[in-house]
Amino acid sequence: MNENPYPPSENVLRAIKDSINNINRYSELKYADKLKEALASYNNASEKRIILSPGSEFLLRELINIFSGNRKLIMTNPTFFPALKHAIRNARKIIKHQLSPPNFELNREMILEELYEPTLIIVDNPNNPTGKMLLDRKFVMEILKNKDILLLVDEAYYEFVKYTFADLVDSYPNLGIVRTMDKSFSLAGLRIGYLIAGDFFLKEIYDFPRFLPIPTLFAAREALKNPEYMEENIRKILIERKRLESGLKKIGVTVFSGEVNFLLIKCDIPELSTILMDRGIMIKDLSTDWIEGFYRVSVGLPEENDKFLAEMEKITNNPALKW
Amino acid sequence: MIKVGLIVNPISGMGGSVGLKGTDGDAYKKAIELGAKPVVPRRVKDTLSLIKRKDIYFLVAKKQMGEDYVREFSFKYEVVGEIKEKTTAEDTKKIAKELISKEINLLVFAGGDGTARDIYDAIGTSVPVVAIPSGVKMFSSVFALSPYAAAKMIDSYPCEITDKEVLDIDEDAFRNNKLAAKLYGYLKVPKIESLLQQGKESSNLTVAERKRKREIAKYVAERMEKDTLYLLGPGTTLKSVADELKIEKTLLGIDAVYKGKMVGKDINEKELLNLLKKHKKAKIIVTPIGGNGFIFGRGSKQFTPQVLELVGEKNIIVVATQEKVSSLECLRVDTGDMKVDERLKGHIRVITGYKEEMIIEVK
Repeated sequence: MNENPYPPSENVLRAIKDSINNINRYSELKYADKLKEALASYNNASEKRIILSPGSEFLLRELINIFSGNRKLIMTNPTFFPALKHAIRNARKIIKHQLSPPNFELNREMILEELYEPTLIIVDNPNNPTGKMLLDRKFVMEILKNKDILLLVDEAYYEFVKYTFADLVDSYPNLGIVRTMDKSFSLAGLRIGYLIAGDFFLKEIYDFPRFLPIPTLFAAREALKNPEYMEENIRKILIERKRLESGLKKIGVTVFSGEVNFLLIKCDIPELSTILMDRGIMIKDLSTDWIEGFYRVSVGLPEENDKFLAEMEKITNNPALKW
Repeated sequence: MIKVGLIVNPISGMGGSVGLKGTDGDAYKKAIELGAKPVVPRRVKDTLSLIKRKDIYFLVAKKQMGEDYVREFSFKYEVVGEIKEKTTAEDTKKIAKELISKEINLLVFAGGDGTARDIYDAIGTSVPVVAIPSGVKMFSSVFALSPYAAAKMIDSYPCEITDKEVLDIDEDAFRNNKLAAKLYGYLKVPKIESLLQQGKESSNLTVAERKRKREIAKYVAERMEKDTLYLLGPGTTLKSVADELKIEKTLLGIDAVYKGKMVGKDINEKELLNLLKKHKKAKIIVTPIGGNGFIFGRGSKQFTPQVLELVGEKNIIVVATQEKVSSLECLRVDTGDMKVDERLKGHIRVITGYKEEMIIEVK
């Protein structure tokens, strides 16, 4: 499921425990305001630009609902699949760009050619599940100079790459940055997403602070007090990712180097994810939504990664599992 | 108990190791002379060894066509029909029909494209099949990808079913390094997802797939221009387009439509060229072959370089379900004319639903 294998810090766990003492009460707006303050400072952005949401998927769905009704929508395939599926069901018109191996690049010319009518573009950068950066500043600014185009960049993995367009939000009203604290801050079970919104988005959408439970607000605020804890976890994950990558390459699995907390692999052993599931290991089989033979492997704890590598070695050496 | 038929083509796959490209016709004798060893037994036994369910009653062909492998396991089974000493395609077809008359739930067969063709001839889409790949040529997308996958399909039955293509390759041409393939038909195959995705997906994808094809058809039909000749390629997606237009489609051939009326049924290159002379504006609508993504050069040989040149690359409409096209790394063309191929390359739009398109590279 691509989560952070490390739990939140003791302080965060304590903040959650303390917060449940008054769980019989609705969350007060001041708690949300405090979190916005902390997120604004963490992102060096203005507080008024922060829109909180129970997870980034909820936010993306809401943004698709509001902005794709009278606009064409452009997304990539693959991308964060729940958002794409919601878009396919709800957008007025959708154009998907297939990312293909070995480079998984966006065809920028084709995107620019599409921008002759009001359009909403949603791109995850880095992309899930390829782990590749799809956008750079020059291209983003080229898109944004057309005021009829709205660009939402899903930066769910920002903390792994430290590359953002958030600083452009003040200059471009048609830009929005979608973030989550689920992955890097180890808070997946609490669902905390936010938007750093350009003026156009700010005008058109409501904030959802009351959708966020009290423990979520308290945990997120506490986590932001000590970003060094999160950074240390990321450092460990990235070291493990490198180890996984070289281990997999050694046993002959094709690995596409990405920038984040997972690896994209290609393996010709049919039904690999089912075989691994039978052995107690979950990886994401991408064949249902994308190309056969591609899998996303999330970095786990060192001992989990050891087990995965050992099982992969056994599987790739078992002739009955392949031709 | 489920009743599972088993038919093994005992000579399939033998040509591969000795550099032949199949064992249809006389090639089998040549394969033996060259010292080819049978490959089928291991593949069938691997599959049988990986089946976990115990509630199977096998109905098998005699000796090397089935009985010899099942005997080594603890499955309950009975032997059906008679076979000749040297088995042929006719034995496969005959046994397949007999198994159907015994009301099997599922038919497992081992072989290559030729065997798949024989099975299709004999049983059509009357029962789902699990195809253990053991031929030299396996261009058809009906085949399971491994014994593990085949066993998992058998274990998962009853489950969701999907149509997969049987491709017919001209072996004589193939041995001379020419690949001539056409879409021969469809077989029904269990659709298995990894356990993770099974939990996530909606209950019946087959219905969803049909619905998606209708959406594509509606979108295409709405955008059809009155003064344009439309040439509909083979496949079930194009059949949906024809259904929307209320005309009867040749599933595996090319039909021509003008002003909503059929003006050419199952037409060949010559007839296509004649029609193109009469009509100034023409568009081709095609769907890629699942798995390899060919839009021209496989499955629809009637769209020759000359036809494509007359129609023009801007007048090609590609349609496919989201599921099919997103599983492709790219679309492919191999018309036999490098210049035409070159012009078709680049990025192309594929209609994947109502007001829904995908942009994908053509190689």
